[in-house]
Amino acid sequence: MARQTHLLRVNGREHEILAEPNRTLLEVVRDDLRLTGAKEGCGTGDCGACTMLVDGRIVTSCLMLWPEAGGHEVRTIEGLADGSALHPLQRAFIEHGAVQCGFCIPGMILAGVATLERTPGATRAEIRDGIAGNLCRCTGYQKIVDAIESVAQAPAGRD
Amino acid sequence: MTTIERPRYRAVGEREPRLEGLHKVTGRSVYAADVQLPGMLHARLVLSPHPHARITALDTEAALGHPGVVAVVTADDLARAARDGSNPARGASNRADALFADREVVFAGQPVAAVLGESYAAAEEGAELVHVEYEMLPAVLDMEAAMEPDSPLARSPVSDIDHTEEDAHVTIDVRSEEAEGRATNIASHVSFERGDLDEGFARADFTVERSYRAALVHQGYIEPHATVAAYDAATGEVSVWTSTQGQFHVRDTLMRLFKLPETKLRVVGCELGGGFGGKMIQSATVATACALVAERPVKLVFTRREDLLAATPTPGSVVRLRSGITSEGDLTALEATVIYDAGAFPGAPAAVGSLLISSFYRWPNLRTDGYEVLTNHVSVGAIRAPGIHNITHALEQQIDAMARGVGLDPADVRLRNAARTGDLMASGKPFPSIGMAETIEAAAAHPIWTRRDAARARSTETTKVGVGLAVSGWLGGLQPASCELMLNSDGTLNAVVGVMDISGVNTSFAQIVAEELAIPVESVSVNTGDTRTAPYAGIAAGSKTTITMGRALREAAIDVREQMFAIAADQLEANPADMVLAEGEVQVAGSPDRALTFRRLAAITTGFGSLYTPIVGKGAISARVQAPGFTAQLAELEVDTVSGNITLTRWATVQDAGYAINPLSVEGQMEGGTGMGIGIGLSEEYLYDDEGHLRNAGLLDYRMPTAADTPDIDSVIVEVPSEEGPYGARGVGEPSITAGGAAIANAIHDALGVRVAEMPATPERVLRALGRLAD
Ligand code: FES
Ligand code: FES
Repeated sequence: MARQTHLLRVNGREHEILAEPNRTLLEVVRDDLRLTGAKEGCGTGDCGACTMLVDGRIVTSCLMLWPEAGGHEVRTIEGLADGSALHPLQRAFIEHGAVQCGFCIPGMILAGVATLERTPGATRAEIRDGIAGNLCRCTGYQKIVDAIESVAQAPAGRD
Repeated sequence: MTTIERPRYRAVGEREPRLEGLHKVTGRSVYAADVQLPGMLHARLVLSPHPHARITALDTEAALGHPGVVAVVTADDLARAARDGSNPARGASNRADALFADREVVFAGQPVAAVLGESYAAAEEGAELVHVEYEMLPAVLDMEAAMEPDSPLARSPVSDIDHTEEDAHVTIDVRSEEAEGRATNIASHVSFERGDLDEGFARADFTVERSYRAALVHQGYIEPHATVAAYDAATGEVSVWTSTQGQFHVRDTLMRLFKLPETKLRVVGCELGGGFGGKMIQSATVATACALVAERPVKLVFTRREDLLAATPTPGSVVRLRSGITSEGDLTALEATVIYDAGAFPGAPAAVGSLLISSFYRWPNLRTDGYEVLTNHVSVGAIRAPGIHNITHALEQQIDAMARGVGLDPADVRLRNAARTGDLMASGKPFPSIGMAETIEAAAAHPIWTRRDAARARSTETTKVGVGLAVSGWLGGLQPASCELMLNSDGTLNAVVGVMDISGVNTSFAQIVAEELAIPVESVSVNTGDTRTAPYAGIAAGSKTTITMGRALREAAIDVREQMFAIAADQLEANPADMVLAEGEVQVAGSPDRALTFRRLAAITTGFGSLYTPIVGKGAISARVQAPGFTAQLAELEVDTVSGNITLTRWATVQDAGYAINPLSVEGQMEGGTGMGIGIGLSEEYLYDDEGHLRNAGLLDYRMPTAADTPDIDSVIVEVPSEEGPYGARGVGEPSITAGGAAIANAIHDALGVRVAEMPATPERVLRALGRLAD
C-alpha cells in the first residue's frame, strides 16, 4: 500500500509520519514514535489497554487508523506527567496500591482522566462505568476505583 | 483483622506502595512486546483449523515467494534450530516441547508453522499463503465419553506422561499412577481411600448425591504471550526477551530443546503483564527456534485470538459427589470422582484436585478417584491455584446442601468439620500449620453473613436476594531460591534476585531487608537480574515467591549484618556479639558514640588498599514446609428471575496470609483473585461448537468482568503464622481465586432455592435451573 505523509501531534509535539495509511494509531505511536506506554491487549477494541485521548476523548487506538488522528491532539500516558510532577491520578494509583502487573494501567489512568474531566466529583458507580471499557485482570478493580475516587473527592485546586 | 496478637516490626507489616509503581504509571516499564531490535523479523503463526487431523501436505512455496517473507518454519525445520541437529518436536510428550504440530494436529489452534517477514504485514500475508492439507481424524471432545474403553484416541499414544506443567505450581507427594497397557485417553488416575464408605453412609442422617461441571477458562492476563529472540551466529549467543513467570524455567527449557550451552544463553524476563499460572513459555520456544533458523532477531507476539486458541488455559471438569452428614453436623463419608479435561497434552491437576477435595474436611470415610483425560481441546495449564476452583464449586455446594438438609448453619458445619493443623490429608501426610478454622470464623462474623436475613428481606417478586459462603485453600509450592545483597558506597543496599516481580514482591523484599538492617525501605533497591546475572530463582508461581525468596532475602540481610558486625567490631575494638544496628550505623551496644556508619563501612571495605572484603550478602534457601493458605468468601447477590441476570451487590474475601508483610499488596492479591473467581463463577467459558472449534476466541465473547460488573470487595486478612515463611507469611496469590464461583453458586441457591450445578452461572443456566427454559 502506498505510504502517506501526515502530521501527527502527540503529547504536544508535531511529528511528520510517513507510513501505510492502513496502519493503526497504536502501531504508529508504538513502533514508529517508540512511545510504548499504550499496549495492545486485544486489537479488537475490547480491552482498553491501547487507550489514548484524542482531543480529550477516550479512543481505543487499536481501532483508529493513524491518518484519522491527523490534525487532532493525541495524548498518551507518556504525556500525562508534567516533567517530574505526576498527574494526581498517577500519584493516586501508586499510593492506593492500584498498580500490579501494570499492563492495563496506562489505558486505565487515561480512562480515569477522561471520566473525571467528564464527571468531576464522580461517584464510585460513575467511576466504574467510566472505566468499564478497560479490563484489568490483576486488581479486581478495587484499588483502581479507590485511587480514582480519591482524586474525584479531593478538594478543588488539585486538578 | 487479626486472630492473634500481631508482632510489631519496623518495616515489615506496613502498607508500602510498590517501589516500581512510578515506571508503570508513566508508561516506562518495558514489556516483551515493547522490545525492538535492529534487523528484527516478525513472526506470524499458521494455526490448525481442525481439532484432530493428519497433515498430509504442507506447501510453503507460495508464502516464500511473497515479497517480504524471509522464511517459513515448520516441525521439520526444528532440526536446524537445535545445535546438535536433533528435532525437539518429534514425539514430544509435553506442550512446551511440541512447538509445531508434527504430522498430526491435536487441537484446533495448534501451531503448524511460523512465517517470518521483514514486516508484520508481510508475515501475516505470508501466513495466509501457507497451504496445509489435512485428513480428518475423529475428534474426542467430551471428557466423560473419552474415558470409555471404546472411545477413539485423542492423539497417538504418548509413552511418557510429563508432569512439568503440573509440578510448576504445587508441591505434593502424591504421584498419580499412569495408565498402563492398552492405549487410552486417561493420562493419569489417582485415588485416595480411608475408612469404610458403607459404614460412613450407614451412619449418615442425610445424604446428597450430585454432579457438577466447570468450564474451561482462560487466565485472562491482559498482555498476550510475547518474545523477542536473537541469535548471533558469530558469537553463538542467544538472547531472549520474554513474558514469563520463570526466566530460569525458560532458560532450562531452551537449553534442553535446542542444546544451547547456558553460558551462551541469556533469558531476560521482561516486565510481565500478568501470568496467573499461564505464562510459562509458549512464545519463547517458537521465537527462539525461528531466530536460530533465520539467524536474525525475531519478534513473536500472540494476538488475543491466538492466545485464547493456542496458549494454555485451564481445564474444565466434571465432579461427581456423594456424601453424608449426621443430624449433629458431623460429616460421615465422601465418595468423589474428579475428572479434568486436559486437552491434547497432559498437564491437568488431577492429583492435587483429588487430594484437596478429600482433605479440606475431616471425612472419616472416603474414596476419591481423580482422572486426567486427553481430548482434542486446547491443552491446559495452571490458573492461580490450578484445578481448585473446580473442586471447590462442587464440594462447597455439597457442604451447603448437606447443612441445609439437616437444618444447620452452613458456616457452623464447616467450622465443625474443617481440617486443623496436624490433621492427616487424604495422602496420609499431616497438614502443616493452617488457619482454615480461623478463616471460617472470621467470615461467619462478617456483617454480610450475620445480616443475611436483612439482605434476603429486600427480595421482591422478580428480584431475589441471596447470600452464599464458600471456603477453600491451596497448599502452595516449594522451590529453592537464592539472592545477593550488596552494600553501596552511600550506605544503601542493592539486591539482585532472579524471580519475576509481577505484583510487587520486590517491595516486600525491600521491606524485609530494611527490617533486618534497621534502615528505611527507600534505602534498599531490589533488582531483577536476568539468567546470566541473577542467582537461581524458581518460577513466580505456586504462591511461593514471598515465602521462599523472602526467606532468602532475610538470610542475605542477616549475612550482611554479620559481616558488618565483624568489621565494625574489629575497627572499634569490641566484640562482634556486642554490636547493634541503629539508624544506618553499627554501634557498640550501650555506647552509641562508638559507631561506624554504613557509608563508612562501605568506604573501608572497597577503598584502595583496604584490608577488608567488600560486603556482599548471600541468601540461599531450600524450602521444606509448605505454607497452605485458606480463604472464605461471602457473596451477596440479586437474581432477576425474568432475565436470569445476576448482580453482585456485596462481597467479602477473608484470607489467612500468615503474616502480611505488605498488607497493601496482600489485599491486592486477594482482590485480584476474587475478581477472577467472579468471572469464572458468572461469565467466563470456552464455548466449542459440535466439531470442536472455539466459538468465542475474542474478548467480546469471552467475557471477563469489567469494573461495572465487580462489586466492592472487602478484604479481611487473618494471620495464623506459617512455620517457615518469613515472619510467618504464607503465599497469598492463589487461594483467592478458589472460592468465588462456589460462593456465587451458594448465594444463587440461597436466593432461589435451586442449584446451578454448572459453572459459570450464566443467565441461561439460571433460567434453566428455575425451569423457565427447556433443557
Ligand atoms: S488493544 Fe485496543 S482495545 Fe484492546
Ligand atoms: S494491573 Fe495487571 S491488568 Fe491491570
